[in-house]
Order: sequence, then C-alpha cells, then structure tokens
Amino acid sequence: MKKIIQFIVLAFVLLPGVARAQEAAGSINDMWSFPVVYAYDEEVTWFFDLSTTTFAAESDVYLWIWSPSEPDAGNWENSSEFAKLTYEGDMIWSFTLTPTEYFNMTPEDIAASAGFWFRLKDLTGSLQSEVHSMAYTDYSSFAGSGELWRSYPSSPLIDEGVSILFNANLAEGFEDATSIHFHSGLNFWDIAVEYQSWIPEVVEKTQLKNMGGGIYKMDLIPQEYYEAPDGYVMENIAFLFVKDDWAGTTADQVLYAGEFIPPPPPVFTFFPQQISKKDFLGIIRTNNEPGINTLIYTVTAGTVEVTGEITGGVSEIKGFVNLVSALQNVDVTEIHVLVKDNTDRTISDTTIPLKQLD
Amino acid sequence: MRSKIIYGLAIMGLIAVGCNDPDDGSYVDPVTIYEKMDGDWGLMSLNMVDEYAKANAIEPSEQNMGAYFNYEDFKIRFSVDDNMEPTTYEVMGDVPPLFPANGYWKLSSAFQQPNGEAVKIYLYSDAQKTQMTDELKLVAVPGSGEQMELQLVRKSGGIAFVSYSFKLNAVN
Repeated sequence: MKKIIQFIVLAFVLLPGVARAQEAAGSINDMWSFPVVYAYDEEVTWFFDLSTTTFAAESDVYLWIWSPSEPDAGNWENSSEFAKLTYEGDMIWSFTLTPTEYFNMTPEDIAASAGFWFRLKDLTGSLQSEVHSMAYTDYSSFAGSGELWRSYPSSPLIDEGVSILFNANLAEGFEDATSIHFHSGLNFWDIAVEYQSWIPEVVEKTQLKNMGGGIYKMDLIPQEYYEAPDGYVMENIAFLFVKDDWAGTTADQVLYAGEFIPPPPPVFTFFPQQISKKDFLGIIRTNNEPGINTLIYTVTAGTVEVTGEITGGVSEIKGFVNLVSALQNVDVTEIHVLVKDNTDRTISDTTIPLKQLD
Repeated sequence: MRSKIIYGLAIMGLIAVGCNDPDDGSYVDPVTIYEKMDGDWGLMSLNMVDEYAKANAIEPSEQNMGAYFNYEDFKIRFSVDDNMEPTTYEVMGDVPPLFPANGYWKLSSAFQQPNGEAVKIYLYSDAQKTQMTDELKLVAVPGSGEQMELQLVRKSGGIAFVSYSFKLNAVN
C-alpha cells in the first residue's frame, strides 16, 4: 500500500515535465526573399512576417529546417546559434544564408530536392510555427527565351525587391564586357541613379552581378536604391545597360511598375462662387499630393490683412476665412487672396470682387 | 315591401342629420407665430448655400458651418411683451455677426400665409422699428416639434448669391 502511495506521489512530481506541451505559434503571415531570384550558391536573405503568430516581438526565433538537409539536427531542445533569425522590426525576422554552404550541398542536389521545408521555433522548441516551405523562383528559362531582359516580379512595387536579369549575349558589343552597369531613373529619370564611372561607390552600386553564361542580374528595392521620398509614386524605371566604362550601351528600356493607379489631379476652389464682405470665404483643396497638408492664406482688403493656416490631408484641406468679422468696418469692393502650401508653393494668387449687397 | 324599407331608412337618416347640433366651443384667439417664437432657440445646424452654384448646378453648393467660428454655441432669443407683441431679439454666443447681434423685430405677418409664402422676420436697430437692418425668412414655423428654420439671404441687384440656413430648436 505504502509503495502504491509513493508511486502516485512520484507520478505527480514528474507530471509537470511530461505535461510541458509544445505550443502552436500559428502560421507565418508572409515570406519573401531578397534578392527576389537567386542562384543556390548566392547569398540570400529570407524574410518572415510573424505578425499572425504568437511569437513575441523582438524574441529569439530559430530556423528548424530538414529539407533539403538538416543542419541543426538533434538540437530541437536547444537550437544552435547559427540557426537564429535576426529581428528586423514590425514583427518581421530575417535569415541570411548561402544555400550551398548552409545545407552543404551542390546547387544540383538542392535543385533536385523537395525544396526548403521548415518550422520556426523558440530556443527550446516549446513554441513552434506550422510547417512551411520557402518558395524558390527558378529563372533558368530566361537564358534561352530570346528576351534581352526580364524582371521578377514583372511589375515591381516601390518598396519591394525586384531582380532584373540581363542577357548580354543578345546585346551587341557586350561579349567581352568585364563589368555591366545599370544606368537608370524612376519615372523617366525623375530620380536618377546614373552610372558615374569615376565614382567607385557608384560603380559598385550600379554593377550587375555576373550569373555566368552571359547572364547578369541587378537586385534592388526602388525606394532605397533611388532614395525616393516617402509617398513617391513609382510609375516606371527607365534604364539602359552600360558595358565597362561606357564602352557600349543597350537602347533605352522601360520597366513599368505594378498597381500604379494615377491619383486624381488636385482641385482648388473658393466657396462660394460669389461673395460679399459679410460672408465666409471657403478655401478648399482636394486630392492633395502626398506631403501636402497645410494651406497658408493671406487675405488683403484695403488696409486689413487676415492670415491663417488650414490643415488637412491627402483627401481634403478645407477651411473658412471669417470676412464677416474682419471686414465689418471696412469699405472695400475687392479682396486679394494669396494661398500657399506647406512647401511654400503658390496655390492661388487672385483678386476676388466683392458683391455689393442690396 | 322593399321600397318601404328604403323609405324607413331615409327617414331615420333625416332625423339623425336634423338632430346634429354643431358644438364649436367658446371663441379663443388663434395662436400667432409670435407666441410660437417667443423664447430662446439653440442651433442644430448652420448651412451656407452657394445660391449661384446651386442655380448653375455647380458642386459644391452647400457647406456645413456648424463646426466653425463657435457656431455650436449660437443661441437667439426672440422676446415678446404681455400682449404677445414682438420687442427685442438677441444673439448669444461669440459668433461672427452675419446679421446684427441684437435689436428689435417684427414679422411680415402674425400668421402663415395662405399662399404658402414664407413669413419674413424684419430686424431693426431702433425700438420704433424705422431703421431696418436685415431680414430673415421663416422657412419652417415652430410647431409641436419646437423647431424652426431661419434663412438669411444675401442679394445683389435683386439676385440671391449666398444664403445661410439656421435650423434651431427651442431651449427650455
């Protein structure tokens, strides 16, 4: 009897260890890579958006990958440092690797494998994501396609990566190139990154990567590469490829951006159409450009000057000037209105006649 | 037989009508608009209408001014004497003077017009009511809902180009 009680007690003491269940963290919200397309022996950074999981922001997250091979085998309860992800902010983690080195496999073997299958986990494996695979874009069809260049994705976005492949075999005079450079600009050269061959940093920045067999690749994120201001709308990237120190160029090329819906033009109006000195003057501007959020007005009527600011946003900036009080004791037949925006641009500079009341 | 029943019903009908003696009650003075307007009124909404834009189908033709220039605090008091005759009016709240903030008033008619034309509120600067300063249209007369609507119309050469519509409700 006593032995039975001891056994039961022992069982309860051991129970917490047994009951330490693995907690499901949920599915990864989004995954992508930079470069967008890459060779298996090229360094790449994988990004994981874990905003839909129960992983805590800034916490330590590890890669547990078993296909094409299992570099951290046997360490589920204590992941190795080399399998640790980097926190990038906003619930996004990254992992940088060169597949051939990380998996200790040849490009051919990786290509023949089932792909990149993994879970993300905490150090001890008590918290784990669902099983996922990191998609890989096979670009091998490009070389024989007869296309001079091809972009991935075909319609890039300003704040996401794009890989532009170039087939130098199809560009006349590029056969013996030692380096190829990307001479380009956003929105038909509005914001350009020119190939200034006398500046070493620019030479490096604009240089395409030689992928072998006459295929070259340019990887960039437009927002960063062109240092475009916030809110800038990318419509296209105009570019040409340059051989060595301007020893030759391709013709001008244009890559059109994705999801570009031209915003409606700004509309500025006064309200009402006809006004007396005993009325309110409305100043309204709709469909404002990004970054335009304030109108600064100066209304002059004889010796009286009324100034003020009207704030708003992209959809509308609207306010009224109180002529009723300001012009109560002024005998005037017209007012002059100057409106500027927060970039000191003149929006309106006009004289408005005042209706004489019956 | 059938015709006798009809005659019988006809006679009964005549008796019933003949016995009806209408009771109109004793005579009471009809309620005037002065009586209905007497007191304090708070602002529910103030709309500025571009009458030129409206007439020419240009948008926008109307702006809600209720959130500007303290109009949320706008109140107006119409006072009458013991005989329900109009005396003074007064705008309360620190708002721009679209019309003089105080003075004397009277209506173009103490009753609604049979032709449906809006009764006008004449505003004066003097108690004798000889110096008219402005006029308002009484677009909606106070009823059981204790709400009314006043319209201030700006005209030049007889043509309206802007108007202000004050929707008010009775305070207290």
